[in-house]
Amino acid sequence: MKKLLTLVLCLAAFAAQAQQNLLMVRTQLKAPEAMAVLKETVQEYGYTVAHVQRCDGGMTQFHYKTDYYRVLFFGKLAEARGLLKHYPQMAPFIPLKIAVIAEKNETVLAAVDPRALGRLYGHDPVLEVQFARWYNDLKSILEELRTFKPKS
Amino acid sequence: MRSWLIVPLLILAAAAQAAPDGKLLYDTHCSACHQTQGHGGIGLPLTAEILSQISDDYIAKTIRNGRPGRIMPSFQTLSDAQVGAILKYIRSWSDQPPPRFPPLTQKGNAKRGRDLYAKHCQRCHGKDGSGEGSGTGVTLSREREFMVMPAALNNPGFQRSASDAMIADIIRRGRKVGGMPSFRHKLSEQQIADVVAWVRHLKPPPPIRGNPEWAGKAAYIMESPYSFEETVDNLKQALTGANFRIFPARYLDQGLTDEFSVDKRQIGIRFCNFKELYHLLNIDPRLGTVLPCRINVIERNGKVILVAPNVMEIFRLFNNRELLEVAKVMEDVILGVMEEATL
Repeated sequence: MKKLLTLVLCLAAFAAQAQQNLLMVRTQLKAPEAMAVLKETVQEYGYTVAHVQRCDGGMTQFHYKTDYYRVLFFGKLAEARGLLKHYPQMAPFIPLKIAVIAEKNETVLAAVDPRALGRLYGHDPVLEVQFARWYNDLKSILEELRTFKPKS
Repeated sequence: MRSWLIVPLLILAAAAQAAPDGKLLYDTHCSACHQTQGHGGIGLPLTAEILSQISDDYIAKTIRNGRPGRIMPSFQTLSDAQVGAILKYIRSWSDQPPPRFPPLTQKGNAKRGRDLYAKHCQRCHGKDGSGEGSGTGVTLSREREFMVMPAALNNPGFQRSASDAMIADIIRRGRKVGGMPSFRHKLSEQQIADVVAWVRHLKPPPPIRGNPEWAGKAAYIMESPYSFEETVDNLKQALTGANFRIFPARYLDQGLTDEFSVDKRQIGIRFCNFKELYHLLNIDPRLGTVLPCRINVIERNGKVILVAPNVMEIFRLFNNRELLEVAKVMEDVILGVMEEATL
């Protein structure tokens, strides 16, 4: 059953477009609302929000003009600990992150495609499944944001 | 039993044959960069003026070829029908038909074209045709009035997508949105053909390579001869010495569990140089997907290691040559800091 799940996950991941290294969507929501919906959505997918990095805050402090720009960090504790224990070289990519970038009244959400990272880690069956799972989750989360319609 | 199978199979076959939805494909693959109605963002705007100057063939080939090193990815796996549907949707924003360019009547002379290019084009497009100006598109802190950077004429994606006739037409008409003047009254048809011939000679710049020791690896890893605490202190000192501002450190599982349960032997030292960050986000606003700069210190089985993302390999994912030029400098700085902390 586990092998079948692995196969399905990997097939689903590779059936999608493999030439893009970043996953990106545009949402009609303004950036603060997009961030709020994103936080709810990642939790619905079983992740915990670790923290939010305010890139705009730091730049404004240094008198640089910038729009809303934040990064949401999220992960699953057992998954993060397991990976860090066996693959410390994965540390730079744990927890997962999605950048939330304002563009006037709309928002762009972007994440690195985990499959692109996977190419840098060689053929490790455990990591391949992990990257495929992350890809499927990120793709679905971002798609939910893209198609999100606010309740009127 | 068989008849039960036939029905779903027929439905699946019909779905596969159904005409692709151009709007859905555009929203999924293009709108994040080009905006919902093509107003431009991280990607170039697809305004009525620009659409009146580019052929269907050029758009289709651009979707297929992308722009190596200039953010736009190549969409090789889209079918012809899908590319056609996107094209049809983009064209629906304008009531003008797609332009058709008459073939050039004169044969261009590249040698003469080189001099004309140097006189009329080089100031904006650069001597080697790499274009000019930081980044691409209109987003973040960029002045939004100046919507289009001068095109990278030496880009292999552009060279494969643009016909001679289309390049000639843009030279004749100029492009208001990017500040390019019309050369209709400045250059003869022969001279325009000469410039086009020289444009075809422009070659892309050589690839940017990082430290060969770390090529193809996702992370830089170094073992520290010091204790965990000493290594963290050394690292902070080395970062301060390299002009970075250090943020409060975070344990790698912090936020995923309560404060008493975090593993305190794996920590991320976060640092930033805001001047550089501002510069980098202007080159490529998507960079937040790999921020902040962080070097991790991990203790495992009595060993202390430093782990940082391989900036050359990670920045390469952005398909942005300008970013890669910065990454090369950053790689030296980060490796220098890690070495200093573990000396």
